[in-house]
Amino acid sequence: MTGPALLADLSLIIPELILAVGAMGLLLAGVFIKGEETAARLVSLAAMALLILAAGVAVFLAPQGGGTAFFGAFVLDSFSLYAKAVVYLAAAIALVLAGHYLRTERLARFEFPVLILLATLGMSVMVSAGDLIALYLGLELQSLALYILAAFNRDSLRASEAGLKYFVLGALSSGLLLYGASLVYGFAGSTEFGAIALAAENPSVGLVFGLVFVVSGLAFKISAAPFHMWTPDVYEGAPTPVAAFFATAPKLAAMVLLIRVLMEPFGAMADQWQQITIILAILSMGIGALGALLQTNIKRLMAYSSIGNMGYALVGLSAASEAAVWAVLLYMTLYVIGVAGAFGVILSMRRAEGMVERIEDLAGLSKSRPGLALAFTGLLLSIGGMPFLVGFFGKLFVFYAAVQAGLVWLAVIGGLFSAISIAYYLMILKRVWFDEPTGGEFINPPASVAIITRVTGIATVGLLLLVPFMLTRVIEAGSAIGG
Amino acid sequence: MAFIVVFGPLLAAIIAGLFHKQIGTRASQLITTGATIAAALASAWLFVDVAILGNARTYELAQWMAVGNFDISWDIRLDSLSAVMLVVVTSVSALVHVYSWGYMADDPHRSRFFAYLSLFTFAMLSLVTADNFLQMFFGWEGVGLASYLLIGFWYKKKSANDAAIKAFVTNRVGDFGLALGVMAVFAVFGTLDFDTVFGQVDDGTVQTLTLFGLEFMALELIAFLLFIGAMGKSAQFFLHVWLPDAMEGPTPVSALIHAATMVTAGVFLVCRCYPIYELAPNTSAIITFIGATTALFAATVGLAQNDIKRVIAYSTCSQLGYMFFAAGLGLYSAAMFHLFTHAFFKALLFLGAGSVIHGLHHEQDMRNMGGIYKLLPVTWLMMIIGTLALTGVGIPLLNLGFAGFFSKDMIIEEAFMAGADGVTFGYFAFVVAIIAAGLTSFYSWRLIFMTFHGKFRGDKHTLDHAHESPWVMIVPLLLLAIGAIFAGGLFRSDFVARGALEFWGGSLPPGPYAEGNYGEGAHGHHPPTWVLFSPIAVTVLGFVLAYWFYVVKEGLPAKIAARGGPLHSFLANKWYFDEIYDFIFVRGARGLGDLFWKVGDRRIIDGFGPDGVAGTVMQAGRRIVRLQSGYLYHYAFVMLIGVLGLAVWLVARAGGQ
Amino acid sequence: MFEIGLGHYLTLAAILFTIGVFGIFVNRKNVIILLMSIELILLAVNVNMVAFSSHLGDMTGQVFAMLILTVAAAEAAVGLAILVVFFRNRGDIAVEGVNLMKG
Repeated sequence: MTGPALLADLSLIIPELILAVGAMGLLLAGVFIKGEETAARLVSLAAMALLILAAGVAVFLAPQGGGTAFFGAFVLDSFSLYAKAVVYLAAAIALVLAGHYLRTERLARFEFPVLILLATLGMSVMVSAGDLIALYLGLELQSLALYILAAFNRDSLRASEAGLKYFVLGALSSGLLLYGASLVYGFAGSTEFGAIALAAENPSVGLVFGLVFVVSGLAFKISAAPFHMWTPDVYEGAPTPVAAFFATAPKLAAMVLLIRVLMEPFGAMADQWQQITIILAILSMGIGALGALLQTNIKRLMAYSSIGNMGYALVGLSAASEAAVWAVLLYMTLYVIGVAGAFGVILSMRRAEGMVERIEDLAGLSKSRPGLALAFTGLLLSIGGMPFLVGFFGKLFVFYAAVQAGLVWLAVIGGLFSAISIAYYLMILKRVWFDEPTGGEFINPPASVAIITRVTGIATVGLLLLVPFMLTRVIEAGSAIGG
Repeated sequence: MAFIVVFGPLLAAIIAGLFHKQIGTRASQLITTGATIAAALASAWLFVDVAILGNARTYELAQWMAVGNFDISWDIRLDSLSAVMLVVVTSVSALVHVYSWGYMADDPHRSRFFAYLSLFTFAMLSLVTADNFLQMFFGWEGVGLASYLLIGFWYKKKSANDAAIKAFVTNRVGDFGLALGVMAVFAVFGTLDFDTVFGQVDDGTVQTLTLFGLEFMALELIAFLLFIGAMGKSAQFFLHVWLPDAMEGPTPVSALIHAATMVTAGVFLVCRCYPIYELAPNTSAIITFIGATTALFAATVGLAQNDIKRVIAYSTCSQLGYMFFAAGLGLYSAAMFHLFTHAFFKALLFLGAGSVIHGLHHEQDMRNMGGIYKLLPVTWLMMIIGTLALTGVGIPLLNLGFAGFFSKDMIIEEAFMAGADGVTFGYFAFVVAIIAAGLTSFYSWRLIFMTFHGKFRGDKHTLDHAHESPWVMIVPLLLLAIGAIFAGGLFRSDFVARGALEFWGGSLPPGPYAEGNYGEGAHGHHPPTWVLFSPIAVTVLGFVLAYWFYVVKEGLPAKIAARGGPLHSFLANKWYFDEIYDFIFVRGARGLGDLFWKVGDRRIIDGFGPDGVAGTVMQAGRRIVRLQSGYLYHYAFVMLIGVLGLAVWLVARAGGQ
Repeated sequence: MFEIGLGHYLTLAAILFTIGVFGIFVNRKNVIILLMSIELILLAVNVNMVAFSSHLGDMTGQVFAMLILTVAAAEAAVGLAILVVFFRNRGDIAVEGVNLMKG
């Protein structure tokens, strides 16, 4: 590779370079800064700055019309740029949410922001993957960092169990994905998405098997049923800000990757993978809706909620059309905003004696903290897809994509499950608004968390005005793919 | 004017809801009530301007989004149909606001209550003035939300809370049908604008949509999905379970939401979309069937209720059934006419019942009432007027009668004519409507007799403190009573007879008696005289039976026991006779009602409906949670089964093709 | 003598893969065995990759295999680290003991 060509390639991956070099630099810097907490604070701030910088570069300095780098392994188009911007910002929000929690739980170490940066770098590579090798490397970079984050509270049995479970199952899923990748490589003759797309026009049985394995591996990352089993346990065991991170950026990145893999290399096999996504969607919606009903732990409930929400996104994706791409993108964006805020509320559930995470601890929140209660109400109902809140449009458009593709029956099933899922959001809200307070009041959340809950809470209504703008953005992003 | 109507209540709701602490309870009551009264006056003016003088128009308030074909704006559409709804909604709402001054006088959270009422009014108004499906859907959800808040207003009462959640969840099912219907409209027509959709409605007869592997004509599917939404909101058979429970809310709420406005939104929806239903005969037949079934079913159940508000609730359900089967038979103007008159007399009945409840210190069980007409004379008189209007008392051929007479008999007669023309379920609807009219008369008079006549059966303390309601509650009753008496006769010509063509001005088909239609089919289009008289005949029969069993017979058992001897046996023989009567008519009918209520409502609907579904769902949830065993090897196993299952499925499918 | 062709390699890989997967959910004793099973799965993938690469006459598969080897090493390191942390907290590494959270 000659110098100018390399430079041209590198100019496309500036955000990734910022993250990669930044993560290395911060790892070094963290060692030399005196005092563990100071190091953690400084590195965390620097990591946020890097993420915002990277997002800024992705949004404002991206080369016009995008391009590909490294012989097609890295694709920069409006689709991946959109996903990158959201992923970076979601990661920054996770860092903001984490700071205070880690300090009070005596977990403040500078490795935490570095791991978040590395995971984000992995996601960034994932959403730009144009080749099975890039896909695998991005996925693994993200996963390895996430395994460690899950077990970040290394003195807690729960956290280490969460990490162990996530690791073993995650490694299994990577194994499945890789096995699928090897079959795809063998039967398509190439690892490049473009070449695979050609082979997919006349699929062999080997390619179908490869598709199933690859999709299964990716379904694990978005925790779609039946590959969801790790989700509740890991959310419960991992430190809350880590769970908040898990529920937002990696979900979006993996979903975006899934969209690209299904629409680009396997676009011609839509008939086959549609059946897979439909099955995954129905199972996920069902398990998400039903499993959540009996939960007493709010983090577990959020896990089931996220399983269900991935189901709705898959309903949209099953349409396999251009509308499917942008509908899912919009859905995931709104979902990320809602979940980030909801976890902000969960992080505010701190009494004088420590964190609490049972749903009944929320009783009477409306009386002790009306603002928080109001924000939580908006956030939960928005995630649940209530009209008047912005989350409704996410659901509306994924169902619309399904209806447009003739999958009315799937939308009907989705609607029934979403009616059930509204029930458990209402059960929480009943506690918040109508029950008498039990136990002590929550102590004041730190300003950082409070701002996030307020901003996202207001966004559930305020973004309604911006829905047209968001629609144009996601439609533009979606037009890069599909069609 | 239109702005005062729509935004007055919203502004008032915001002020009263957010600033009631600053401005005080009285001020928030004044603001909300004032705003709705202003809205009512303005809508009366609009009604004259739009419907009578024919100045239909649409204001575009804001374009909300325009992405591709997805062009949505917020409008106020004023045509005769929405003008009628505006009058109904704002006038009943204004009266309910006034009434609530008295009814809620002791409640510490009055200002919140008034804010909710105004919010509801705003949502309902934006529903009826919608110019596209999405705005209508938003209004639809808005009234659902507001009604949820109002039913659960006494949120410390567990039953009220449960009822609110039940209403909410049941309505979700319906709303989802509506949402799908709206999406299907967009998928088929590429727009959500009413006029554009109705303009190219013929296209829908050609296209097909696939559901569960079956091909449906697009228009039928759209019509059906929209109707599911209407069923939920208007408490039609299968989705009616929430309405009786919703009586846990304060009585003014029942009058506003569960009699006059929200529950009629379904009828409004069907009428608004009549161009779709005109071309969807199968769905229309389903509507007729469901409507007629509901009319009969709810009427029989009404016989067996002892809670005064539940009787009226089932009655509402039954009357909504009348409106639906009228719409299903294509008599949209008659359905709207009945909606219009029904709003007055049903609100009157609810508010009257509220007055009784208020006077008896929140006693709602009719078995603990009786003989109180002397204590609440005005309420008694108003309830009688309401009952006369509901049962449709009037003299056929002379066109003299209460409001319900004109609208209900119109529907019944036209059902007969539709049957004669061979419309599906026409005769069925007619027969059912006649039976239901008799039952309506019976249970309505039973309510009057049990509540106001005979001996007082409750505890003495309540009786001593029983009192007539304050004037703020009486005045709305009087105004509604005027409506209940005259609304039918006054507007008959405009709604369904000679003036209908001009009155509706294209927003609804004017019906068979309209000016334009009067010439040609006039001779053929007259129901036989016996059809004209049959509703009033069964109504009188119902009254006589109710009178016999709840007034004449009331003291009988006591006298028999007192005299004894041969006279006793003689009387006892008569008593046997009575008992046979009792068995056949009262117990028989009540037994049927009981059966419907217990088996139909409790077991079948609740068994599969929300309550039962809740149980099933919980059971399923428990299974899934048990699957989540915590063991790594189980998790890995499930994943593997997943991969294998998917692979086998795909390969088997591929092999099969 | 028969010639060893692509089919044989694929079969071998499939067998290895199956053994690896079975190792994960049949084994209930020791978490270390889980790590070994994961290595076995990756090994199976590598066999596939190299076999296809040689069959297709295309280098990509071998490059992929090298990368998989590298990542597998990192993965094993992370896995063992997490296992050590778990052992410190719990005192044993029986798979059946990894069952604190469920439902």
